[in-house]
Amino acid sequence: MSTSHLTPADFQPLQGSVSGQQISRPSLSYWADAWRRLQDNPRAMASMGLIAFLLAFVSVGPYLWQVDPSVQDLDQIGIGPGADRSVTLAPPFQPWLPEQQSTILADNAMGLTLTMPATTQAVRLMWARADGERYRLYRNLFDPSDTGSFGLPLAELDRSYFEDRLDLQAGTYFYSLVMLDANGAETATAITQTVNVTRVISVAEAIERGLIKTEAEAQLGQELKLAWHPLGTDYLGRDMLARLMYGGQVSLFIGIFAPLAFVLLGVIYGSVAGFLGGATDQAMMRFADFVVALPFLLFMILFKVIFGIGPGESGIWPMLVAMIILLWPAPARLVRGQILQIREEGYVSASRLLGGTTSYVVGRHMLPNTLGVILVTMTFQVPSAIFTEAFLSFIGMGVAPPTPSWGAMCNEGIKSMLTRPHELMFPALLISITVLAFNLLGDGLRDALDARMRGTE
Amino acid sequence: MLVLHYASSSLTGAVTDVSAVDVERNSISILIREEPPQLDSSRATDAVSGMVLGHVMEGLVRMGLDGRLEGAVAEDWEVTPTTATFWLREDAKWSDGQAVTAADFIFSWQTALKPETGSEYAFLLFAVKNAEAINNGTLPPSALGVSAPNPNTLVIELERPVPFFDKMLVFPTFLPIREDFFLATEGRFGADADQLLYNGPFQITRWVHGSSMTFERNPHFWNQDEIHLDAIHVPYITSDATASLNFFKDSKIAMTGLQAENLTEAMRMGWQIRQHRDGTVFYIDFNYRDGRATDNLNLRRAIQLALDMDEMVYKVTKLPGYEPGVSLFPGWLMGEKTLLRQEYPPTKIIPNASAAKAYLQTAMQELGLSEPPTLVLLSGDNPISSVQSEWVQQSLKTTLGIAVKIDKQIFKQRLAKMTAGDFDMVLAGWGPDYNDPLTFGDLYASWNKNNRGEYNSQELDTLIETAQNQLEPAVRMRAFGDIQQHLIDNAVLLPMYERGVTYVVDPRIKQLKRRVIGPDPDWSRVYIDTGSE
Repeated sequence: MSTSHLTPADFQPLQGSVSGQQISRPSLSYWADAWRRLQDNPRAMASMGLIAFLLAFVSVGPYLWQVDPSVQDLDQIGIGPGADRSVTLAPPFQPWLPEQQSTILADNAMGLTLTMPATTQAVRLMWARADGERYRLYRNLFDPSDTGSFGLPLAELDRSYFEDRLDLQAGTYFYSLVMLDANGAETATAITQTVNVTRVISVAEAIERGLIKTEAEAQLGQELKLAWHPLGTDYLGRDMLARLMYGGQVSLFIGIFAPLAFVLLGVIYGSVAGFLGGATDQAMMRFADFVVALPFLLFMILFKVIFGIGPGESGIWPMLVAMIILLWPAPARLVRGQILQIREEGYVSASRLLGGTTSYVVGRHMLPNTLGVILVTMTFQVPSAIFTEAFLSFIGMGVAPPTPSWGAMCNEGIKSMLTRPHELMFPALLISITVLAFNLLGDGLRDALDARMRGTE
Repeated sequence: MLVLHYASSSLTGAVTDVSAVDVERNSISILIREEPPQLDSSRATDAVSGMVLGHVMEGLVRMGLDGRLEGAVAEDWEVTPTTATFWLREDAKWSDGQAVTAADFIFSWQTALKPETGSEYAFLLFAVKNAEAINNGTLPPSALGVSAPNPNTLVIELERPVPFFDKMLVFPTFLPIREDFFLATEGRFGADADQLLYNGPFQITRWVHGSSMTFERNPHFWNQDEIHLDAIHVPYITSDATASLNFFKDSKIAMTGLQAENLTEAMRMGWQIRQHRDGTVFYIDFNYRDGRATDNLNLRRAIQLALDMDEMVYKVTKLPGYEPGVSLFPGWLMGEKTLLRQEYPPTKIIPNASAAKAYLQTAMQELGLSEPPTLVLLSGDNPISSVQSEWVQQSLKTTLGIAVKIDKQIFKQRLAKMTAGDFDMVLAGWGPDYNDPLTFGDLYASWNKNNRGEYNSQELDTLIETAQNQLEPAVRMRAFGDIQQHLIDNAVLLPMYERGVTYVVDPRIKQLKRRVIGPDPDWSRVYIDTGSE
């Protein structure tokens, strides 16, 4: 018989086998997995980049492009991007006293003469007139012999001079003088004069606009450059780029915060209703039906009154509040429907049997499975919120002039869509980009967050 | 749904077979901006009703093609300081063949004056004896100082001498209404085509509310020689300028207005563009109620000198035919011999930023303010008003540092706010009701209901009384000159511009009359030039 000596060390458990099953990759949490899949989606990443760019455009942009969006550059109204900016320095505009000016009339049929070089300040015409004669003066952008009409009637005159100051732009104009008979009908006696108008600016105006510093350095006839508007100006000569930046602040604020807030509210409300079910659910959803029936515009007006906002003041905050209070039922209904469905799924029962608390079950299993629906709703609400803001600004309930917003700019731009398309195109383009970016991002997020698609690719 | 669809397509079908000028049927098609609310002449207020009534009704006198007053139902007339007598022509007939008599005018005027009618233009009749008392309800309508010694003579006793009484009669309120027909309609008079009796060159044969109207020649009209068209169709009722331009391009309507944006295209197409100054003056009105900063003269002077109306008209509004405003009295008003403006030229305000700032400093001291006041500018909701109010806002901010809040409102609401005095400044306009400077001159009288800012000056009231009650033209015109000077010196209002209309007409249409007083445009004497001479 041999004796063996057992030591306490012999009773130590063996080390676990190294060769058993092992997780060979780091554990992926739900969010890490979603992020990984999102990164694999180039469209979603590009749209995230776009959104980041838009946010930077409206927040950092105004610091880089320091132009007041409400300053009116009346020398450059409604110009497109890249318009000619050159201007000649000229003496200030003086009222014309034609009686005191001795002019040698030109040698044509009616003696129609340009009395001084034509500028954007004024075009001054004189002609020979016999007593009792009446004339009609026309202006045309096209040669009357080509189009067959004299163009735009400027005035009917029983004198021998006329000063035209109406919206003169640099370029060629055709002025036609037609003699009228005793009944005011046009006679065949007519003459056309071609006039080349140059753009000028007075010294005082040049100093005011910061083109030159002092009167001393001014030299008449000197060529200057007017203020630069990279994206052109609007119908009052306001810088489009600056207005797009400031307008985006309003549009993106409403477009992002309002949906975020009311979708969140709707999600909480809908999931509570769906989860509790029964009579509580019925009561809560009937209340939601009641809120749907409330008229948005009426509430908007009521909130404006409650907030004490008078005419001509911004109605952005009441708009935000009205949107949050009135628009949550749509996402709430969607989420409730989803929750009702998911509540009966096997994995929820399993989770409960294993001891999952209510909040754990909702947070871990139910909400992630409804995220797809929620995000799709969100991304559709962003453009609709931007358009609501545009509409309300149009009827005077939103931003107050001169504060811009993209929607309000579109509304203004559409009036001159054919003649000055850039006033509509730029804000519309930015709204479209925003909407597209949010839609693509929403698509990507839905795919990435969908628990059922987890780890499938 | 299907039924509805058919109904609407049959409607458009009826509309599309009319063309701008139909030589065969001797008819034309035009567009009106709004539908007349109703066509009871005693209650008509708007320009569209006035235009339609001008084609289907005829008053005692009318404005002729040469712009002079001519007899219509009245063959001849005489106005003295105490009475006005009108001799009616015997062949003037209603559209049912009965004669138009003096009693029809008496009934119409009495109806307009009844307090229960609620006519907004009843005040035009106040020149007639007892008219004001009837309108206030203190006298019965039968007390009106109008009598008919025989069916073809109308004698009017005047409350006070009115030198321009005959000129006032072109206004729709003075049109005749036949009593038996009026009573037979049982309160629906003027609401539909068959609820009206016509005595003008045309009669309304079809009126589809909200959609279209047709005027056809009235066979009983006395002056058939002057009327050439057999029918005028109104296939479209819309105020959309783009739609109007497109209808004209498609030869659906004979005339369209042009906006600044369409001018280049119109010139390229070689259209015969025409222009008409419609006689309306637009201005900035101030609020003079207690506690309003705009009651301060120096503040108003500062604003007067800060705003360059030339700049606004030539660079911002950019519409041809608009003339920068210099006076409340528009340039077309006649004075004693020539134009009032030539006889009493208004002082032209030259904008001056530094002088404006000095006035503002004084105003701030007087008002006890440490910084420039914030003002509310009430404005209309149409595109032109929006642009102009934003221009005013920016100009005052740049020049004076005054912050302006823009209160955009629809027409009715703007009028309500003006009446309630809920504004500091307002973009307002005034069109003439009759052809005398007084239609503008009494606007700021302390008793005038249209003096919405409640301006009250003893000096101005005295001048207006002179202009109203004196008969001597020279004295009256001097009073108007003084009124004009008072308004400019005290910056009571800031004239912005006189409005013009730019339009194109189908070249085959002749004798279309645009006018300041009376129905505009007047198609009644139009003929179609077929070019086969």
